[in-house]
Amino acid sequence: MDNLSELLHGFTIAVTVPHLALMVVGVLLGILVGVLPGLGAPNGVSLLLPLTFGMQPVSAIILLSSMYWGALFGGSVTSILFNIPGEPSSVATTFDGYPMARDGRPTTALATAFGSAAFGALVGVILITFLASWVAQVALAFGPAEYFAVYFLAFASFVGMGGAAPIKTVVALAIGFAIAAIGIDTVSGSVRLTMGIDELVKGVNFVVAVMGLFGIGELLVAVEEEFHARAVSSKIDWLEVFRAVGRLPRHSVALLRSAAIGCWMGITPGGPTAASFMSYGIGRRFSRRGRYFGTGEVEGIISPETADHAAGTSALLPMLSLGIPGSATAAVMMGGLMIWGLNPGPMLFVDQKDFVWGLIASMYVGNIVAVALVLLTVPVFAALMRIPFVVIAPLIVIICVVGAYSVSSSYLDVVMMLGFGVVGYLFKKLFYPLAPLVLAIVIGDKAEDAFRQSMLMSKGSLGIFFANKLVTCLVVAGIALLLLPLALQLFARIFRKPASIETTTQEKVII
Amino acid sequence: MISRRALEVATAILTGSFGVAVAVQSLDNGIGWSTEGVESGTFPFLTGIIIVAGSLYNLTRGVMPAASLASVPVAITSIELRRLAGLFVPAAIFVAAIPLLGMYVASAAYVLAVLAIPRHRSVLLSAVTAAATALALYVVFERMFQVSLPHGALAAALGF
Repeated sequence: MDNLSELLHGFTIAVTVPHLALMVVGVLLGILVGVLPGLGAPNGVSLLLPLTFGMQPVSAIILLSSMYWGALFGGSVTSILFNIPGEPSSVATTFDGYPMARDGRPTTALATAFGSAAFGALVGVILITFLASWVAQVALAFGPAEYFAVYFLAFASFVGMGGAAPIKTVVALAIGFAIAAIGIDTVSGSVRLTMGIDELVKGVNFVVAVMGLFGIGELLVAVEEEFHARAVSSKIDWLEVFRAVGRLPRHSVALLRSAAIGCWMGITPGGPTAASFMSYGIGRRFSRRGRYFGTGEVEGIISPETADHAAGTSALLPMLSLGIPGSATAAVMMGGLMIWGLNPGPMLFVDQKDFVWGLIASMYVGNIVAVALVLLTVPVFAALMRIPFVVIAPLIVIICVVGAYSVSSSYLDVVMMLGFGVVGYLFKKLFYPLAPLVLAIVIGDKAEDAFRQSMLMSKGSLGIFFANKLVTCLVVAGIALLLLPLALQLFARIFRKPASIETTTQEKVII
Repeated sequence: MISRRALEVATAILTGSFGVAVAVQSLDNGIGWSTEGVESGTFPFLTGIIIVAGSLYNLTRGVMPAASLASVPVAITSIELRRLAGLFVPAAIFVAAIPLLGMYVASAAYVLAVLAIPRHRSVLLSAVTAAATALALYVVFERMFQVSLPHGALAAALGF
């Protein structure tokens, strides 16, 4: 019951006029970046980051997390009304959302999506409320070896469950680690990997990478196909909103199943995108009306939306209690935490109670604010989509350029951002996952430090990673996840199942 | 027209050469075990090796006509390539012009150029959009958030 009293205290922090105003601003900005193709939650949050440096950490995190909720909702709006996913994680929503809207039921599709999304988010927040402080308590006893094992497990789960080609995930992760190592080494103080460029001594900021990879990269992918924003009617029929939400409990099995998938994928970093696809696939297999999926089926909207938001929300659990973000956006927020002078990880729950519980309470309120605002503003943002892409694209380029520059007032950052844009385009085009790359840039240093500290403790023996039950379990689980794709392939070969066909269908949908 | 195979190979070579650069550079920092613990080059060296190994695997997968690649023979068509260049080339010129023109002039010129030259919008409307962009940047960054954007060598020479 300690958690509940802490949560009530959190509400007294979150529910104040300035913080509610920040939520509204954050959610609206979030919907905006969610709706615009080329701008998503990760670079929306990193754009806002430099502007939060003067704020109280709790206000800053409320603003940024509200933006995240807004972006998650905004992505679904364009998926349903325009068949254009505004966010990678809402691609699966287009499969049934757009057909339903096209058949003259846009309000039903939107209300179903928002209702199930809110349910998913609620499950995620409840999980955080009851589990986060417990996980943090366990993690307080962690030494460097345990930490490294947890990092290892997180990276391994990307390889094993991320859904992309495993070796491409490994390459993306390793590149992220190498980028994280650029600059001054925190342990020895020596300068590493500057490639002869003196300015790189300060390292490569993750915001620069995010702006390029997600901003310019996504824009380049988007410009290839000319958008035909043939919107279905964006008028909201309020009576139908309540009717559609009222019908949701009939699909409680799908809701609970998708929420569970989402939470699992959010905590073990698989991310919202993988979660929504997995949930859609499982829903199609197990739903009674599974064979009608793709034609505007209610459960075809519920499955990806619930999982998407459950994963997006619960991705903050490992970020808060372990210092390991569960999604790219959570990684950016964690970078913010470090800039504000907070140390993400279990000590937050001891030293920064106001911050942690203020954030958790704000997640309850923020999601309600987000549902209300997104319903109210659907017509406004739908009108925005009618502005031609040729006008929006240069503005997004400018936003990314200014965003990269404002991190540390460096022109080199802008040039690097453009370079990251090309890499992001190539990676997206060839299905290299971007989230692990960003994650490795943000926490690569910490993982390396943990490894080197444990090596110091054990005087160079790898035996420290098998020294006690906990660390052994974590390491073994990590290795198992790393080998999972290999095992699946072997399994498929033995039983003569055409595994390659399955990967191609998955490749087609994971954009 | 660029085939999926060519794109896979080019990307694998790109990541692979980055890996080689990382591994070679890390040797300067020393790899292995010293009295102060793991030397600072070790971890990057290992990641460099992993990148190289993974890139080699992706390279061979890209060259081989595997089932997953055969379904997408063309990755970028020539029309798509033209659209890509249409977005990227002006953006690159814009970035290159920032040190000289400064952020405000460069972004206004950029917006004006990409809207007016391909005749997406009339010259007047493009000019208004361009001016509004520069003004919005100035108000938001220089005034509201006190972040100074580069004014450029030209402005400095003119005494701004």
